[in-house]
Amino acid sequence: MGEVILTMKEIDKSFPGVHALDHVNFEVRRGEVHALMGENGAGKSTLMKVLTGIYKKDSGTITYEGKETEFHSTREAQDAGVVIVHQELNMVGDLTVAQNIFIGREPKKGFRIDDKKMIEDSKALFDELHIDINPKEKMSDLTVGKQQMCEIAKAISHKAKVIIFDEPSAALTEKEIADLFTIIRDLREKQLGIVYISHRMDEIKTITDRVTVMRDGGYVGTLITKDSTKEDIINMMVGRVIYEDPKTHSMVAPDAPVVLKVENLNAGKMVQDVSFELRKGEILGFSGLMGAGRTETARALFGADPKQSGKVSIMGKDGQLHEVQINSPQDAVKAGIGYLSEDRRRYGVVVQKSIIENSTLATMEEFTSGPFINKAKEKKVTQKYIEELATKTPTADQLVVNLSGGNQQKVVIAKWLIRDCDILIFDEPTRGIDVGAKNEIYKLMSRLAAEGKSIIMISSEMTEVLRMSDRVIVMCEGKKTGEIDISEATQENIMDKATRNID
Amino acid sequence: MEKIKQNPIVKKLGLNRIILVGILILMFIVFRVALGSKFPVAESITSTLNYVYFLGFLSLGVTFVIATGGIDFSIGPVMFCCALMSGYCLNSYHVPLVASMIISILIGTAFGIFNGWLVAYMSVPAFIVSMASMNIAKGMASVFTKTQSVSWPLASDPTNGWFRSIVSVNGFPVGLVIFLVAAVICGIILYNTKPGRYILCLGSNREAVRLSGVNTKKWEMLAYVICGTLVGIASLFFVAAYTTVQPGYGDQYNNEAIAGCVMGGTSMVGGLASIGGTVIGVAIISLLQQGIMAFGLGKGQQMIITGIIVIVAVYADVSARRRKN
Repeated sequence: MGEVILTMKEIDKSFPGVHALDHVNFEVRRGEVHALMGENGAGKSTLMKVLTGIYKKDSGTITYEGKETEFHSTREAQDAGVVIVHQELNMVGDLTVAQNIFIGREPKKGFRIDDKKMIEDSKALFDELHIDINPKEKMSDLTVGKQQMCEIAKAISHKAKVIIFDEPSAALTEKEIADLFTIIRDLREKQLGIVYISHRMDEIKTITDRVTVMRDGGYVGTLITKDSTKEDIINMMVGRVIYEDPKTHSMVAPDAPVVLKVENLNAGKMVQDVSFELRKGEILGFSGLMGAGRTETARALFGADPKQSGKVSIMGKDGQLHEVQINSPQDAVKAGIGYLSEDRRRYGVVVQKSIIENSTLATMEEFTSGPFINKAKEKKVTQKYIEELATKTPTADQLVVNLSGGNQQKVVIAKWLIRDCDILIFDEPTRGIDVGAKNEIYKLMSRLAAEGKSIIMISSEMTEVLRMSDRVIVMCEGKKTGEIDISEATQENIMDKATRNID
Repeated sequence: MEKIKQNPIVKKLGLNRIILVGILILMFIVFRVALGSKFPVAESITSTLNYVYFLGFLSLGVTFVIATGGIDFSIGPVMFCCALMSGYCLNSYHVPLVASMIISILIGTAFGIFNGWLVAYMSVPAFIVSMASMNIAKGMASVFTKTQSVSWPLASDPTNGWFRSIVSVNGFPVGLVIFLVAAVICGIILYNTKPGRYILCLGSNREAVRLSGVNTKKWEMLAYVICGTLVGIASLFFVAAYTTVQPGYGDQYNNEAIAGCVMGGTSMVGGLASIGGTVIGVAIISLLQQGIMAFGLGKGQQMIITGIIVIVAVYADVSARRRKN
């Protein structure tokens, strides 16, 4: 480890209603890999966005190469040598590898772009990193892992001195992760400062020199990796926040009937031959990596996207399974299915409308006599659900845009409860919801299941899957790769199945 | 400012609407003082009003379309098409007056169905659809009337002259009553019925409404159909005031109607619509036109000012939204 190249001191940042960063400290030395850890929403990404000029800090200082600095854009940060490799790749699929690496700063020969030089430079870059990629290949033809390598090459080509990896391994196979680590070690040799954001404890132990832990927007502490144990780090991450233990056994009665049976569902590349059953009162977890096809499965089942084939049966009033044709969300809702999207603001709520209007949206027939809306009834019923779900709002007339993420989620839940849906699909139920509200949503889901609702829960958070599910279905690249009862589910066997298809 | 906003009466009526009414009254006073007896142009207020009812109906119609987040640039030419084709039926094929009037409304409705179907079910952008149907409306009217202008019966016409009583009878503004009743009905549809609720919600976030199990296509199309019907009605008020219609025109009324609508607080982004605002907006546009005419300026100046109003009103809406976010 060399001298300190970057220091962030007492960084503070607030967004309306959220204290995102509370006087956070962070430093990086030359030739070190420094892990930044914390639960989702701890503020890691926000801190890095402040560093690279995407957000403006409210207070605090950033010292880079001995000088107090503030970058106003990623471009400025890049030019100074601070580069971020994002979780979501920022590549143009239709361009070649070389074109992507030099986008916006193509070498010129007169007025024309010097393709030859661009390709040669790319090659030199890849050689330096010991990566085997053809610069002439189209970006969209590469695997996610290779695309990530290109991102790294691009970062290096900016004469980077500090590189930030934002969850680089989330979508990579084990082999690709090994390759990534080789590159990172190489960069460390070259005395670059590296920030490594990840949730994966084993990776942290393998690759990093120091660990800084954040929690709820605050700085918790910094440890030397080799002197600390997994438990030390976890304790710092979790802190006072009470996490309930994972479920040890299924809460579903052994004789609970099957309420939904999906057979051989096919919808494009992302949903191939998916079959599963959902039982009454069950919370069925869907686990998998980014892009495993879980959301696509839910959307195809719900009729939001077209499907090629597949048989869907739902339990009728008579207690028997009947095949249903679901070709639109309308059909699905009629069949008693409600879908709570991962992207609430786009697909869940109409943010510019009131809680009342959102709550009754799926059930207008119940609130109309003739063509006219019975507004008094609307208000009464909405009010009842605001109380029942403990939605925090001054009035039922409040516009949904003014509510926090957790309360917006409750409005969506109310919408489906008013509709009296028996099957609820929660897609990332707690995404963008802060820690306290998360627990409330969990309790609510457990209560609904106990009351006999059946829940499909898609989640990318392992703790969430292990805590909530009665049974876990694992998907990978559009296929179902596993089905595990909660009593046997572990982080390891789920992850193993989630990466099974790759390569 | 905040204190005024929190006042219960202001809250109920909406600050914007109160400001708009203020502008309206102020404009009237200014014109009256500056121009004296030259304003209004026509001999009385009632006869001045006769010339603007049609614009009110156009604005009401397009309010529904804009509420869905769409746009309709065909309303003016479609209005002319309705008046021309039904008027031609009346004059050349001796179709009874009442039947001709109904034909007028049906033609408008048919265009609404056509536009709405293309936009909602075929996913053709509303901008393109309405541009195309503007041409179709003009062309159809030209072909049908053999490029002849059509005159509707004068008030002196013994058998059919009575139709002009839809605008006024002996100085009583019947048209105003009909227009206000129509506006109230539109308001009830938009705020107190299921279709109106769906139209406003889908204008704000179509996907979220669709994923709530609502047939968004059907309700989006309905907005265009309502608009078309109101355009058909507008055509009757147009000929009752102006008598003669010429094929190939009508575009200038698009902007005037849209200006009235957006000035009243209906958002071009969709989801927010104010019928009361539209009524006041149309009144302001009309008053402005009368003022411009009374100053001795022509159609050209009128069009420039209407164009500027549209830009200013939309800009105000966009920047208000940006501030909110």
